[in-house]
Amino acid sequence: MKLKGNAVSEGLALGPIFIYSPFSVTVSENFCEKALVNENLSKYEETKKRAGQELKDVCQKMQKEDPEKAKIFVAHQDILNDEAVNEEIIESIRDDYLSPDWAIQKTYDKFAKMLKKAPDPLIRERAADLEDVRGRLLRIWYGAPESNLSILTEPVVIAAHDLLPSDTATLDRGNVLAILTEIGGSTSHSAIIARGYEIPAILGVPDLLKCVRDGQAAIIDAQNGIIELDPDTEEIKKFKERKKIYIEQLAEIKAYLGVEPLTADGERIDIGLNIASADEEEMRGENYTDFVGLFRTEFLYMGRSDLPAEEEQFEIYKRVLRAYGSRPVTLRTLDVGGDKTLFCLNLPKEDNPFLGNRALRLCFSHSDIFKTQLRAALRASVYGNLWLMLPMVGSIDDIRRAKSLLEEVRADLSAGGIPYSDCLKLGIMVEIPSIAVIADLAAREVDFASIGTNDLCQYLTAADRMNPEVAPYYQIYHPALFRLVGQVVSAFNSAGKPICVCGEMGGDRLAAAALVGLGMRKLSMGFASVAKIKKLLAGLTIRKAEEIAETVVSLQTAGEVEAYLRKNLT
Amino acid sequence: MYKRTATILNKSGLHARPASDFVKEAAKFNSKITIKRLDEDEEANAKSIVFLLSLGISQGTEVEISALGDDEQQAADALAAMIESGFGEL
Repeated sequence: MKLKGNAVSEGLALGPIFIYSPFSVTVSENFCEKALVNENLSKYEETKKRAGQELKDVCQKMQKEDPEKAKIFVAHQDILNDEAVNEEIIESIRDDYLSPDWAIQKTYDKFAKMLKKAPDPLIRERAADLEDVRGRLLRIWYGAPESNLSILTEPVVIAAHDLLPSDTATLDRGNVLAILTEIGGSTSHSAIIARGYEIPAILGVPDLLKCVRDGQAAIIDAQNGIIELDPDTEEIKKFKERKKIYIEQLAEIKAYLGVEPLTADGERIDIGLNIASADEEEMRGENYTDFVGLFRTEFLYMGRSDLPAEEEQFEIYKRVLRAYGSRPVTLRTLDVGGDKTLFCLNLPKEDNPFLGNRALRLCFSHSDIFKTQLRAALRASVYGNLWLMLPMVGSIDDIRRAKSLLEEVRADLSAGGIPYSDCLKLGIMVEIPSIAVIADLAAREVDFASIGTNDLCQYLTAADRMNPEVAPYYQIYHPALFRLVGQVVSAFNSAGKPICVCGEMGGDRLAAAALVGLGMRKLSMGFASVAKIKKLLAGLTIRKAEEIAETVVSLQTAGEVEAYLRKNLT
Repeated sequence: MYKRTATILNKSGLHARPASDFVKEAAKFNSKITIKRLDEDEEANAKSIVFLLSLGISQGTEVEISALGDDEQQAADALAAMIESGFGEL
């Protein structure tokens, strides 16, 4: 039987299922007689004391095994003893006659909600800790024993509804082959831990617990998000071979993560990182990359009903700039449109959102929002090497209009005596064909450019990359795309201005070889691609890359291009 | 009422261990203590870790500590000193 879910942490595993169902309860509204108030107060204190002891014990155990994990339990003790939380629980029991379990549920929920509202994802994560402590208190209240994943007798595949911070912190890492849960996605706590531990994980598997049995054999394919239950001998054999190859490849690639990105004949290709936020996980490629080729800023505007204030933006931009020091950080200004629902902006639904009032155009029509972002970015520019990048540029007019707004912001800051860097660079994303075709003219107006190949391909082939109906028409190996990219690279190289690719093509080893051959000397990509691209470069000479590029632009179809690249780049 | 201002110097801001230490220190005093971000109007009970975390105080933020009670001066001074020492992370 096959099950499917979201593959959130790579890898392959084979092993017996271990169903983990920790105590869970949802308490409903529950009041008590006034006469029982004192008894209830002492029962609460008793419960709290026992929770405190449990936490102290596990904390001590963790201090010996993994002091980092022990910190989680210190934080839980802090929460357990939080003055405000306790005050409210005690008041509810004493003054409003709530039953202690209901008081605990209600109060912890309230505070968890408060943390979940915070714009900083690090703070939002703490809501999981509140839920964890609440769970512990309620479990003790109902008299259920502690169950955990810290003592597993053999290697297993964990199947659970969800995993809390205390579950993942205490898990017996050596014996966990894979993690499967019914809920959750790529940004869940469980996903982050699984990736950190390099344990394959598939989350969001509906009705998982109904479909599996304790001890049941399972093949976990976290490359494709597939779980195969009760595989037969043939399937197991095939899987073992596949896993062997996978492990070899992984080791080989890892070896390249920290090397200098040089071609076989010693030419340096700068490798940049694409990041979608400023949090630790996104930034983990910082050590291995030469610059940030794409700092997406949309996360600041999503999932909230108020616009991000200048101060909030400033803090985040500053963090990334500081982390990269003298290395460039290419910050892309707001790039959203009618295809996304933004609670903080009432964007009217458009018939053609990708051709509509989005990104830079939206910034022009809402210039106060744009200027706030520019102000925050300029103020942060003194902390590092800021390269400001404008998305959705279609003409020289767009560039000039943006420049004049930037000038206004600079003048404002100067008038206010607020410093900003004189060395900041202004550049554009090349994604709309109309600017790509006049790249030579654009190169005179800006300091740099980065090719957004995903959208460029979309606009070029006139195929909506989100529409599965026309997926065959969205061809990333289309010869036209390579020709156009070649033109843009030449134009910027001739003008002596930096040019980069930040779309998925940059992290695609087949396309990257051709890009280098076209003259590209900077590639930016997601962290997952860094090692693999460095490895590709190490096995490629500039001459070979140029031959590849020459051939690719002479081929007729995307299919031919892909076949040629695969054949020549084993 | 006694007030002190200070700037958060350490890299991780008022999160995790620094927050924990801060709250433990605040709990030693009788006074009612609040901490406020000077760039926003929000203030929080300095003895509550949950409230403190929800303020999201990061490196570089200027804060104001207000204490009211018989040991208000010692309280505010101790907490300001803690912040200014960077929680031992500098």
